[in-house]
Amino acid sequence: MKKQTWFWIAILMAISNLLYAGGSKESTASAQGEKKEKLMVYTSMKEVLIGELRDAFVKKHPNVSFDYYSAGAGKIMAKIAAERQSKQLVCDVIWTSEIPDFIAMKKEGILEPYISPEAKNVVSPVSDPEGYFTAARLGTLGITYNTNKVKNPPKTWQDLLKPEWKGGFAIANPALSGTAMVSIGLIVNTFGWEFIEKLKANGARMGQGSGQVVDDTASGDLLGCIGVDYITIDKIKKGAPLGIVFPPEMLVIPSPVAIFKGTPNLSAAKKFVDFLLSKEGQTIIANSYTLPSRPDVPIVKDVGLVEAKDAVARAMKVDYNKLMAEKQSVIDKFQQIMQGK
Amino acid sequence: MVDIYTKPKISAAQIVLLFSILVLVVVVGIPVILIFLTAFFEDGKLNIPGFLQILKDPDTYQALWNSLVIAFGTTLVSTSVGVFFAWLVARTDLPFKKTMKALFLVPFMLPSFIGALAWKVLLSPRAGYINKFLMVLLGLDTAPIDIMSMGGIIVIESMYLFPFVFLQVESALERMDPTLEESARISGAGLLTITRKITLPLVLPSILSGALLVALYSLAHFGVPAILGTEKGIYNIPTKIYERIYSSGGSFRAIRVGTILSTILVISAALILKAQDFLLKKGKYQIIAGKSMRPMLLKLRALRTPLLIVSILYIGITVILPTVTIFLVGGLKTYGLSFETKNLTWANYLEIFRWKMTKDAIWNSVYLSLGAALVTMLAGTMISYVIVKSRPKGKFILELLGVLPFSLPGTVIALGVILTWSGRFGINIYNTPWIIFVAYVARYMAFSLKSNSAALQQVSDSLEEASRACGATHFQTLKNIVLPLIRPGMISAFFLIFLPALRELTTSVLLYGPTTRTIGVAIYALNEDGETVRAAALASVALVIILIGETSIRKFLARLQKQE
Repeated sequence: MKKQTWFWIAILMAISNLLYAGGSKESTASAQGEKKEKLMVYTSMKEVLIGELRDAFVKKHPNVSFDYYSAGAGKIMAKIAAERQSKQLVCDVIWTSEIPDFIAMKKEGILEPYISPEAKNVVSPVSDPEGYFTAARLGTLGITYNTNKVKNPPKTWQDLLKPEWKGGFAIANPALSGTAMVSIGLIVNTFGWEFIEKLKANGARMGQGSGQVVDDTASGDLLGCIGVDYITIDKIKKGAPLGIVFPPEMLVIPSPVAIFKGTPNLSAAKKFVDFLLSKEGQTIIANSYTLPSRPDVPIVKDVGLVEAKDAVARAMKVDYNKLMAEKQSVIDKFQQIMQGK
Repeated sequence: MVDIYTKPKISAAQIVLLFSILVLVVVVGIPVILIFLTAFFEDGKLNIPGFLQILKDPDTYQALWNSLVIAFGTTLVSTSVGVFFAWLVARTDLPFKKTMKALFLVPFMLPSFIGALAWKVLLSPRAGYINKFLMVLLGLDTAPIDIMSMGGIIVIESMYLFPFVFLQVESALERMDPTLEESARISGAGLLTITRKITLPLVLPSILSGALLVALYSLAHFGVPAILGTEKGIYNIPTKIYERIYSSGGSFRAIRVGTILSTILVISAALILKAQDFLLKKGKYQIIAGKSMRPMLLKLRALRTPLLIVSILYIGITVILPTVTIFLVGGLKTYGLSFETKNLTWANYLEIFRWKMTKDAIWNSVYLSLGAALVTMLAGTMISYVIVKSRPKGKFILELLGVLPFSLPGTVIALGVILTWSGRFGINIYNTPWIIFVAYVARYMAFSLKSNSAALQQVSDSLEEASRACGATHFQTLKNIVLPLIRPGMISAFFLIFLPALRELTTSVLLYGPTTRTIGVAIYALNEDGETVRAAALASVALVIILIGETSIRKFLARLQKQE
């Protein structure tokens, strides 16, 4: 009998929770008058980066109930598109590395312009003077390699075409990963599609997300991959047998942050953007082993990162407006080459 | 007088009937109709060429083909394995039979996508631990086994699906009338002839029905192909639908392709079910006696110990090895290190209970599966009662609707639910837990109907009639006679839903929102994001939860049976 009682209590709890979660929208709307604010950020930044930012932000703004959804940029855009179609946009702020998406969203008129008081300190190769989006980080990508298997680290992109890399290199799926999408755009613009075709001829393949290719390199499943700076270095710090090199032509990809038009949580959203661009926020970003978008915040030394000024000077260039228009065809062509179709 | 008495009674029955129809229409009817409409109609016009166009697209065609090959291969392998072990347990003098029988059901408990995750760690071509070991051992330059292939997917799925066949065949073999075999033997037939002419034909319906269950399941299975196939460009229908929806920015075209592929799935599933129905009906003629002597056991003699070792090794390799691997990977500081004590840490496990995303996922899965199990059980009882016991007009609609959930794979339900519940009919529950809840109810309604109607069919009409004749009202009869009798059926329906829902992936992976990830989705997403060690840690926690759930339920059910 006692057991049964517990059983029913558990079920009651389950149902009440479902009711609560289902109806939570209304309850928070009424609580807004009491200055309790809500904020939902969709970001492609991994837990190691966004987790610490959340902790610091919540500490600074205890009345904002902050939540985030971390996934590849492709998934985030799909989620947003589906939410827009069902007229129920959940996210207030988006922060990914897929710049073409930001330009497209600005053109569609679904972003809220906001020039943060901190924005004047930001230096980025891509910027929007009207403030529809602002770079909160300068992501750099290099060649991540397995130190157990690669005794002779590559120096240039062309090294990857050597026989010792046969069947051992991967680039993340550009449909899933924003950094991969932009990287491919930059590489194709610099070296042409022939380079991708030659990579494929040398047995390179398409991986999944930008994190998974790095993990597969760490396990030795891959010899190397195009790796994101902080994902790779974080794993190196934890002891993974990885190394990262930045060839002369660098992949520098700003990660813009933007606010959605019509968000009911505008003031909280602005607070978050301010925080990201503040010295405090940028220091957390820098300490997570990537480049801050503020020159006045120092980077972590001795982990192989390139100073922002040098990185931007060495960076491959592309016309982002053009890349936006060609985005789908770039993804399609890359997948076609990699899957041998 | 008569009028006053009968009027409310009829309307009460009608209300129940109407309500049952309504539940089925809303939960499964509308989503399925919308899927068919979306697949065949475009802009309000019938578009068969467009439908065929998408099927002819090499990309979707390949996915279709892969789905069929995987389903066929998995069915073949799991049937052979299942029949072999069933025969070993039922018809030979294998030692420790009871334990072995229980052990052969354990693979059911391990969610197959977690198994796939472990096997990827063990057998991926370059980094798999077993592959590396074999390469050193045999002095090879390339890995001997590539688990990330069609063959790999088939083998891994079979590993965790063969109990379907095992269960069916084992019980058929045990229940079989041994006198049939004995008379053949007396007439001078050898073992081979007896097996070929007597035993096999008798258990064939059970073998085929188990095989069809496997086919039905693997045809629409997401987890294993998603983990082992997508990276190598191997897609089946569910993974293709997932990929399309997530790579095309959620555009309507992707959903339409999904619905077209879904119709193929539904039709294939319906055909499989039809075949199974046919076999089961045919199987009714089989001479399997309820009570009889135990069949004669084949003496294994010298093979007794080796076969026992083979069986134990099989369980060890398919269950224990992957489980241990998952726990160890979950303890690594970072993926790619070796399993030495200096590289192991509890941090990932602690992180699971600190991190909001994983905590939410566990909690979501627990309350969604509890809630769905309860509601589906109650609705299923009501609907089965109407179908089995009362015979109102319009019952055939209910029967038709009641069969529908059986042939709806998880992916199809997810798509139907998206089409129905994201604002089209004024209700928008997209991104809330409700949409997953509704999908679970639709997905598991079949389990509830099956379990409840089986229980109800055993309750003789005469019992109810006797109660009514003694003056009890309809409601009293239900409460005092019918409900207590079918309670075991209801409870087993509850757990038949609760446990699979707890580890559900196929449906929720298409429906989850930023705060409504389930355990399955969280593990899958972590793996896809390259957080392999955390994915493994969460998978270990999930395995512990499943194990606790399963054993406590077994105890609970055993105690209940004692009470009855």
